[in-house]
Amino acid sequence: MMILAIDTALDACSAAVLDTTSGNTIAIESLPMQRGHAEALMPLLGRVMKESGIGFAGLDRIAVTTGPGSFTGLRVGLSAARGIALAAEKPVVGVTTLAAYAAPVVAANAERPILSAIDARHDHVYFQVVAGDGSPLVKPKVAPIAEALEAAQYGALHLVGNAAAMLLAARWPADAADPVAVDCQSAPDITWVAWIGAAIDPDGAPPRPFYLRAPDAKPPKDRLEVSAPPST
Amino acid sequence: MLVLGIETTCDETAAAVVERQSDGSGKILSNVVRSQIAEHARFGGVVPEIAARAHVDLLDGIVDSAMKEAGVGYAQLSAVAAAAGPGLIGGVIVGLTTAKAIAMVHDTPLIAVNHLEAHALTPRLTCALAFPYCLFLASGGHTQIVAVVGVGQYVRLGTTVDDAMGEAFDKVAKMLSLPYPGGPQVERAAEGGDAKRFTFPRPMLGRPDANFSLSGLKTAVRNEASRLTPLEPQDISDLCASFQAAVLDSTADRLSVGLKLFQEQFGTPRALVAAGGVAANHAIRSALQDVAAKAQTTLIIPPPALCTDNGAMIAWAGAERMALGLTDTMEAPPRARWLLDANAKAPAGHANSRAGH
Repeated sequence: MMILAIDTALDACSAAVLDTTSGNTIAIESLPMQRGHAEALMPLLGRVMKESGIGFAGLDRIAVTTGPGSFTGLRVGLSAARGIALAAEKPVVGVTTLAAYAAPVVAANAERPILSAIDARHDHVYFQVVAGDGSPLVKPKVAPIAEALEAAQYGALHLVGNAAAMLLAARWPADAADPVAVDCQSAPDITWVAWIGAAIDPDGAPPRPFYLRAPDAKPPKDRLEVSAPPST
Repeated sequence: MLVLGIETTCDETAAAVVERQSDGSGKILSNVVRSQIAEHARFGGVVPEIAARAHVDLLDGIVDSAMKEAGVGYAQLSAVAAAAGPGLIGGVIVGLTTAKAIAMVHDTPLIAVNHLEAHALTPRLTCALAFPYCLFLASGGHTQIVAVVGVGQYVRLGTTVDDAMGEAFDKVAKMLSLPYPGGPQVERAAEGGDAKRFTFPRPMLGRPDANFSLSGLKTAVRNEASRLTPLEPQDISDLCASFQAAVLDSTADRLSVGLKLFQEQFGTPRALVAAGGVAANHAIRSALQDVAAKAQTTLIIPPPALCTDNGAMIAWAGAERMALGLTDTMEAPPRARWLLDANAKAPAGHANSRAGH
């Protein structure tokens, strides 16, 4: 399978073309980036597709990270992936950033549970816990860091994600088993986004934003008092 | 020439396919608009994050519908156009990125269209209107008088220094607890109201420039309404009627100055064109008739579906630019602010106001 993977949900702008038959990543580019994904992604995609030499018609599938992450960032990748899918008539699947962070550890047949955590600011993280075989222990959620630290109950864990070091490992409970490893990357490895995208069942992986947070909006309070509901 | 147009700058997710003939005439093959009114209603206004979320959920389906309705395949397109601003950046990013992706697949030229330019060129889609003409653009986000001299050649003659006209209508509706979107509700309430019960200010009246100001008028309505609480339905109708009358007087005055400035700089306009959601207000339309008649020019108001935000106007502006070879690269940035007239200066004393961008 030829799969194009796209990730703009966190602090990188990345795309890669993976040939799952040979196991080769035939084109890849990943730029560290905190903002500016909207300007950078399409030129980057153009370069990656050119380097791959296969053209959009040669793709079997497109995979894109859906979050959690920057709301604006993840919409850049999703818009691009869904636009390509539409015009090239190719299927597109969504991969969560939490799953993408855990994937290389799961693939290495980890025996320990894996805690994926992403900084959600204001002393919160987006996180999930999976067993070493990838089966879920704590489903993806946004919660105070203290709640994520309760995952220590699963024993010695492998910590991944951009919040793994500073937010979790640094505050790990003294009475809990130490993490077996801490991999703190600012964004998931794009090649792993492609591998999960190739393996995933499209029916269970819609290319829709995975925000985990409602929009910040409140109904207005500055209305004047009316004696009766106005006719509408 | 077949052009796909995408519009996502505010709370309408829209796509359309337009065909431009070699004689310069246009034909709309499809024009699909999905308004997000329901999503924003309980907040009394457009919430940017909610709008951006709706755009990314809806846009590919809307584009697909527009293409199917037009019976056009992606490989047949001569260009893909998207509104690249000005507007709510979250939505602009979704629309522009989607357009770039579609364009890249079949190596189709991309056109990053200024949303205001699309409003300005819309009348040429429905009738053979030559340059130059005078545009009055009034919506929830913009209130401008613009000399449309040619494709890509626009001179701003006047602008609001604070609220947009549609915004003022919406805010008055909101303070009076009228349902969202408020503009049409204010117009409806005003029909049964006494426009003379309250004397509200006529902002900017008699000034030699063609600028607008609406926030003071809105505040005057609020002050008057606060004194009357609890508001009876008749109070609401009278407040709306008196507010609308003030807007009409101010608009007529500002436009007559705008047309005078136009005449001085560009000669007689071929028409006065109104666009934007406010142009759907019947009282405003009739006031514009009077203004145009006094200035001895023709009033052109595109049909309501082309006055409010839509994809056909973006596709058409894309087609007009494409015909002149004006295409954009994959680097084209989404822009929250984008002056139609790059040389426009904020009116004196308003450099830090919205008129500066």
